[in-house]
Amino acid sequence: MAGKGGATPATYSPSPTTDKQKPALFKEDWVRPDGRGFHQCRPAFFRTGAVNAASGSAYAEFGNTKVIVSVFGPRESKKAMMYSDIGRLNCNVSFTTFATPVRGQGSDHNEYSAMLHKALEGGIILESFPKTTVDVFALVLESSGSDLPVVISCASLALADAGIMMYDLVASVSVSSFSKNLVIDPVLEEENCQDGSLMITCMPSRYEITQLTVTGEWSSPKINEGMQLCLDACAKLAKIMRSCLKEAASDSKE
Amino acid sequence: MWHASAPRTSGMVGLSLGEKHFIQGGIAHDLRCDGRKRLTYRRISVETGVIPHANGSAQVRIGGTDVIASIKAELGKPSLLQPDKGKVSIYIDCSSTAEPAFEGRGGNELAAELSIALQRCLLGGKSGAGAGIDLSSLIVVEGKICWDLYIDGLVVSSDGNLLDALGAAIKAALCNTGIPRVQVAAGTSNDEQPEVDVSDEEFLQFDTSGVPVIVTLTKVGRHYIVDATSEEESQMSSAVSISVNRQGHICGMTKRGGVGLDPSIILDMISVAQHVSAQLINKLDSEIASAEAEEET
Repeated sequence: MAGKGGATPATYSPSPTTDKQKPALFKEDWVRPDGRGFHQCRPAFFRTGAVNAASGSAYAEFGNTKVIVSVFGPRESKKAMMYSDIGRLNCNVSFTTFATPVRGQGSDHNEYSAMLHKALEGGIILESFPKTTVDVFALVLESSGSDLPVVISCASLALADAGIMMYDLVASVSVSSFSKNLVIDPVLEEENCQDGSLMITCMPSRYEITQLTVTGEWSSPKINEGMQLCLDACAKLAKIMRSCLKEAASDSKE
Repeated sequence: MWHASAPRTSGMVGLSLGEKHFIQGGIAHDLRCDGRKRLTYRRISVETGVIPHANGSAQVRIGGTDVIASIKAELGKPSLLQPDKGKVSIYIDCSSTAEPAFEGRGGNELAAELSIALQRCLLGGKSGAGAGIDLSSLIVVEGKICWDLYIDGLVVSSDGNLLDALGAAIKAALCNTGIPRVQVAAGTSNDEQPEVDVSDEEFLQFDTSGVPVIVTLTKVGRHYIVDATSEEESQMSSAVSISVNRQGHICGMTKRGGVGLDPSIILDMISVAQHVSAQLINKLDSEIASAEAEEET
């Protein structure tokens, strides 16, 4: 509370804050809100085994973006489903009501659910669990930029924790473009005023892209640069994820 | 809503093993079942002004694929976060007349996927840069009144390559769209909602030169093709849709299909899409121009 000089607090009146504080994004001396370099990711934190009831689960924290993913199954597909000799993958992404700055509905996010499904299905060996379904439920506890890439990386870690057979861990990173600059792993403030974004989901050991999306206008050299940035960052991210899995495995042995 | 991995593409088209090999072999030899080469389109025909109730509309046929796009403009209020911009929304409907599998909620998943892909390809980044439709041109009174553009697409008949067809139909419909001229009554104070007079005689045209076209490259075997039919789509391993504008810049990109792609292949696809799109834009523009001329006579 700002008790300035002990004066009686004035009655609250909404002041017309018309001076829109647009971040000076196009200046040369622009620094990112959290002081990172343009090509520097936020520190990533992963932990497996966040939910006891699930077959596998993981928690991820990238700066203020916090995500929890649980994986259930493989379990019997619903009766209404047709017979399928490959396994089914069921993805659902939802936000908590307090995840966003403006109180949200806390509802399911259909677009993200579809994207998560498309990003993961290329990495999972669906043939290894015929007639059954694997459910992947992701909950965004706090949304602070790059939500979808964090959800995807965290989900692949949860799948690995559940012992679902995969070709490789799936890592995902996005970049935002601001006129000439490319900024990796954008935070919410940056995402809200970006000119374009590029998200890549890849399996680094196989050097294979399972999903990519681009919005905004990009020239060919810029898209080259953006893809290279993402791929390098994905490789580093996958190393962190792998070491997290190894740590969990060695802990359980002891 | 759930997103289960239903075997959609393989389930709909019943092909025998021989037919599958025939399609795959044809693509490998650069001679497809209907005699086309890998990078040749089917015949494209455009008809504009098909829906009298809309501000703009167009019907696009690419081979057996038939789609309609309609554009309606309504006066609305700009959002608080972006008071200097109008709003555009894109909805796609997959009619069950096109395919029995679209019946009930069956078409919802595909419709949502197409809507999202089109929004991504046409509306640009959050700041509005690179958008095919300039949102700031839709403003009437800043912070008070703007045009809300409702773009609705309908899949009438489906024979593959829906996204490209819908993108072309929306481009044609935008060229066909006339937004009524609005007179704002002078002398209203800052707080009041200004009174407007919507003219029903004078219409303004859109600047559609920045609207990109969408090129979907479908990978079958080791090669990729443009404008795949639904039989060919059933054999795809993955497909990348790239939207390219007249300058050859990428305006959006989405990938379908579960199989991963090598980054170098994607870069290769981008350069092919840039090459193909230049021809497609010219083709579409001449088709749209002749359709517009035909409508006037």
